[in-house]
Amino acid sequence: MSFTKTPGGKALDVLHNLPRLSLVNLRPEPGAKKSEKRRGRGQHGGNRSGRGHKGERQRGTRPRLGFEGGQTPFYLVVPKYGFNEGHSRRPQYHPLSLKRLQYLIDLGRVDPTQPIDLTQLVNARGVTVQPLKKDYGVQLVDEGADIFAAKINIEVQRASEGAIAAIERNGGIITTSFYDPLSLEILIKPVPFFMRGQPIPKRMLPGEDMVPYYTNAENRGYLADPEKIQQARQVLAQKYGYILPDISKDELYHMLAMRKDVRQIFFGLSPGWVVNMAEKKILKPTDEKLLKYYSS
Amino acid sequence: MAASMLCRRTAATYRTLNGISSSNAVLSLNSRCGFLLQTASYNPKPLKLNLGESYIPDKNSEKTPEWQKTARYDRKLFGRYGSASGIDPASLWPSKEQLDRIIAEEREWNPPLEVMLKNIEAREREETEKRLAKEKIIADNMAKMPKMVEDWRRQKREAKQKQKEEKTRRTWLLAQAKERFGFAVDPRSPKFLEMVAEIEKEEKMRKKLIKRRMKEEKMAAPITPPAASS
Repeated sequence: MSFTKTPGGKALDVLHNLPRLSLVNLRPEPGAKKSEKRRGRGQHGGNRSGRGHKGERQRGTRPRLGFEGGQTPFYLVVPKYGFNEGHSRRPQYHPLSLKRLQYLIDLGRVDPTQPIDLTQLVNARGVTVQPLKKDYGVQLVDEGADIFAAKINIEVQRASEGAIAAIERNGGIITTSFYDPLSLEILIKPVPFFMRGQPIPKRMLPGEDMVPYYTNAENRGYLADPEKIQQARQVLAQKYGYILPDISKDELYHMLAMRKDVRQIFFGLSPGWVVNMAEKKILKPTDEKLLKYYSS
Repeated sequence: MAASMLCRRTAATYRTLNGISSSNAVLSLNSRCGFLLQTASYNPKPLKLNLGESYIPDKNSEKTPEWQKTARYDRKLFGRYGSASGIDPASLWPSKEQLDRIIAEEREWNPPLEVMLKNIEAREREETEKRLAKEKIIADNMAKMPKMVEDWRRQKREAKQKQKEEKTRRTWLLAQAKERFGFAVDPRSPKFLEMVAEIEKEEKMRKKLIKRRMKEEKMAAPITPPAASS
C-alpha cells in the first residue's frame, strides 16, 4: 500500500496542473441552460406545431385584454368598477430588490465607490427601463434587506421604507428623484444622446400629482428640505432600531454627499452643455439668455 | 466609429492578456493601487454604419436627401465627427426665436414649484374643509340619535298600548251588549251602534259632572287659605 506524504497531496497536484481559470474555460453549469424548443421539426414538421387551426390562436395575434370582438366591452357597459381607471396612463416603476443590488455590487457590475444612479444600473444590465412603455424609472424594494451590506449613494425613483432603512443602516445615502420621460431616455442611454450633438436639456419638475411624494422627507425626496431629511433619518433609525452611522467622518464623505441639482440629469454635467464624444470635449454656452434659461 | 470601438476592445483584451502573462506587471499594478476593484464598464453597441471615412453630405447637391439638410442632422454630424464636420458649434443651441418659443411654452405648461405647492395646499385645504363639514354634520346627527331612538320606542309603546285598550274596550262593549240584549250582537248592527252611542253619552255626562265638581272645589278652596293664614 502506498500512502502520500501529505493529506490531499494528489488533489493539490492535480490542482496545480490544471489550467488557470479564465474566461476561455468558463462555461455554464451542466443543466443550467435549456436549449430552445425548435418548432416545426421532425415527424409532424408540416403540421400546425401544436397551435391549432388558423386564426388569432395560431398566429398569436390575440386582441387586447377586455376586448370582446367589437361588442361594447363589459368595462364600458358597466362603468361601475373604477379599479382600472387610467391603467394605460399610469407610471410604471420596475422593482429593483436589495438582493439584486447586492448581487450586482458583489459581481463588480456596479461600483459602490461612485454614486449610483439609473445610468449605472442600466449599464450594469441590472434593470431595463423603457420610457416609451410608461416606465418612469425603478423602485427599490426591501427584499434581501437583511443581507444588504454595502455603503452606497443611490438615486432611485421610488423606495420602500424598509429599503431606505437598510441602506441608511449601512451608512449609505438614498434619494428619490423624478425624471420626465425625455430626461429618462437621456439618462439611461447617454452615449446615443451625446452622439446626437444636442445640448443636455433641463430636467423637468414632476407634475402636481407627484410633487407631494418628492417633497416628502420620509421618502427622501429630492425636493425635500435637507434638514427635514436629517430628522427623518433619525426617526427611521429609531423606528428600526439601529444607530445611524456618522457620515461626515467617513472617508467616502465626498462621494456620499454628492447630490444632483433639481434640474441636473448627469452628475458633473450641467444642463445646456454639449458633450462631444468624438473629440472628448465639453462645449458650454456663453450667451446670457441661454445661460439664464438653462440655470432657471 | 465601429472600427475604432473594435480597436479599443481588442486593445483592452490585449492589455489583460499581457497582465496575465507577466505576473510582475499585475503585482506592480496591484501594489500601486492598493486593491483593484474590477467593475464592468459600459459596453456600447457598435454602430451599424461603417464610418471609416467621414460622410458629410453636400448641401447644394440635389442628390442629398432632404432630411440630411436639416439642423437636426447637422447636430448629429457634429456629434459624430466633432469640429471636423465643419458645423458651427453655436448652431447646436436653439436660436433666439426658438429659445423664446421654448420659454413661452415652458411658462405655459410647466408651472414653477412654488405655484404647484400653493395649488396643492389650496386643494388640500378645500378637501379638509369639506371633510370636516361632513364630519360635523355626522357628529350632530349622531348626538341627536339617542333621543330619536327613545322617541321612536315610546311611540311604538304608546301605539301598542292604545291598541290594547281598544281591544279591551271592544270586548267590554260586546259583553255589555250581550248583557243588555241577552244574545251576541253583530258589532255592525244599528242596535249595537246605538248602544255604543248611548254609553259614550253617559260617559261624557259623567266626565262633565266630575269637571264641575272639581271646579266647585277649586272655587271653594281659595277662600280658606287666606282665612287660615290670617
